[in-house]
Amino acid sequence: MTIHTEPLKSVSDIERTTLMTFLPGRIAAVFGGRRWRSLAPLAVLIVLCLLIAIANPNFIELRNLVRLANSAAVPLTLAMGLTFIILMGSIDLSVEGTLSVSAMVVVLLAANDANGNDYGWWAVLAAVIAGTAMGLLSGLVQTMLRIPSFMATLGMWFIGLGLSVYMLGGSAIRLNDASIRDLALHRFLGLPVAVWVAFAAFLLAAIIQYHTKLGRHILAIGGDEDVAKLSGVNVTRVRITAFALAGFFFGISGVLAAAQLGQSHAVIGDGRLFAAVTAVVVGGTALTGGEGGVVNTAVGVLIVTVLANGMILLGISPYIQQTVQGLMIIAAVALSLDRVRLRIVK
Amino acid sequence: MKDRTDFTLTGTINRRTLMMGATAGVAALAMPNVLRAADKPTLVTSIRSLSNPYHAVWKTGAEAYAKWAGLEHVTLVSEGNSEKGIADIKAMLAKTGGNMVLNSDPNDTPDARPIVEACAKAGAYVVTQWNKPADLHPKDFNPNYVSHIEFDGIESGKTIAEILFKTIGGKGGIVALGGLISTTAAIERKKGLDAALAANPDIKLLDFQVANWKSTEAFDLMGNLLTRFGDDIKGIWAANDDMGSGALEALRAENLAGKVPIVGVDGIKTAVDAVRTGEFACTVTSDPFWQGGMGLAIGYNAKIGKFDPTKEPPEHREFYGKAVLISHDNVEEYYKTNVDAKPEIDWNDLWGRVTGAIRA
Repeated sequence: MTIHTEPLKSVSDIERTTLMTFLPGRIAAVFGGRRWRSLAPLAVLIVLCLLIAIANPNFIELRNLVRLANSAAVPLTLAMGLTFIILMGSIDLSVEGTLSVSAMVVVLLAANDANGNDYGWWAVLAAVIAGTAMGLLSGLVQTMLRIPSFMATLGMWFIGLGLSVYMLGGSAIRLNDASIRDLALHRFLGLPVAVWVAFAAFLLAAIIQYHTKLGRHILAIGGDEDVAKLSGVNVTRVRITAFALAGFFFGISGVLAAAQLGQSHAVIGDGRLFAAVTAVVVGGTALTGGEGGVVNTAVGVLIVTVLANGMILLGISPYIQQTVQGLMIIAAVALSLDRVRLRIVK
Repeated sequence: MKDRTDFTLTGTINRRTLMMGATAGVAALAMPNVLRAADKPTLVTSIRSLSNPYHAVWKTGAEAYAKWAGLEHVTLVSEGNSEKGIADIKAMLAKTGGNMVLNSDPNDTPDARPIVEACAKAGAYVVTQWNKPADLHPKDFNPNYVSHIEFDGIESGKTIAEILFKTIGGKGGIVALGGLISTTAAIERKKGLDAALAANPDIKLLDFQVANWKSTEAFDLMGNLLTRFGDDIKGIWAANDDMGSGALEALRAENLAGKVPIVGVDGIKTAVDAVRTGEFACTVTSDPFWQGGMGLAIGYNAKIGKFDPTKEPPEHREFYGKAVLISHDNVEEYYKTNVDAKPEIDWNDLWGRVTGAIRA
């Protein structure tokens, strides 16, 4: 049997290299293979910016760049958390649920128009803790009950959503605490504070990924969990920590979202999961894990934000904007994936 | 250890017995009420959910009417489940023996037919609002299906557009935020906007974008529109208040709140507050308080023979209600009577808000 499998396998290898990777794979090889591929997202971003700027010079106006940074703040913070999970080869679908819980907590504990609470910045702390706790719970459910991350976090998504629907009573509650609202309204060096918070989140994520043992272990698990385990990585602990870390970032983005909108309602997280996954993938982090990172994700977030901004600037019909986004995801993944090394496509 | 187990068990049994006893007690207390109400009809409200402010206000309106009329009132909540909604209504029909008046906001359009048929069969009187199939008519179920009420989306879209145009001085550019493309309300309100634009050639629609009824999407969208058009944007038309408030926050982030007027539909509290501060030019509401009370009032008056549904003109059987406009002129008054206190409505004025028969 083994004798037969060997030649069979190599035949399929040849098929794969000649057919499946024919176009982008060849092009990539001509330009230097992996090196070129890892720079593909950045190139896409630059080309995108150039094209939009040529079509509408308003794009490079300072005011617009500030707006771009502002609308990237929440997705960037979210995607930072998600990157760690995807790097591990897992997925976190609880993004929207966790975000809405933390937005709900901050609004209900700070000054608002529904109850008499006024705990100021303690509310923000509580919201971030709530987000972290949700992530921790996802991690515990996944490792202790041995439920795949897909299902565990899907469950957490609806638990979170249900919790905030219940607590908010289905209505939108206003956030009246001026100092928390200043996250979105006050500017420091020309940029809204929320942008600086998102930037700090990015730095923190980068430090965790590139300069801590946790970051390296996450990458190792994504590369090959069995090898990581054999090398002495405590996989269970790393997984739980990673999910809690993701929840921490989701918690921060929930606070930012509530501050930007000046209110919270249960659907505040709607559509954010899709946007975050898109940003991570477009940035070149492989869904299979072990490849990419937070810098890639930052580029991915910028691509998605610039594209959304650009489509409005160019006056593209709202009816086809989603189609363009879908096309871009496929194109980005096609460009950045190393198909020669990809053995199976599930 | 055994003692403790026994003790716990005793506790449980006691608690259970207590609960059963309490249930029985409540049932016994409720019994005379049902018997007493046997001669007078029961008022029944059937709505989607109590977790949204719209239906919560609807319920308070229904209760206010029931109190005014001195009748029993029951609220049924379908929780967005059509089958539950219909089954609950059938259960109420069985319980009251058909001696009831139903005011229903059917969960979905096709639900209206089984609801109306069940009521007609049991001899109950029913008023439906918002959702019914186009080929279902009150006149086909005389006299039990009394009326169907809707609000004209075209009219709302047009009214707020005209106020917006007036606020910005009759000329200049505006941007519009639409609702979910596939929904009737979104299509109708946009038609109203188009009609107002056609009548005002000096107003230019810079761009129409869709934010799917959501403030979050409207927030991002508005930032991008500000880039594209900058100071050319003199006003913002939003198909609902939630999107309008998202746009308002985008303006606020740029220090433009209050300088670029916004209009919306629904009359949510955020929007009413914004009308007070001048950040919104206006909003319109179908007035769920009125819908909740008047739906019951119309049904009850038909039931007790105050009017004969079969002799009423078509515009009393299927009609558009009058939306209430909340603008700078009446917002303080509205706030005092609708937000701070429960509104006072003349429940005898059954047809006061009829604006015309529903378009075929």
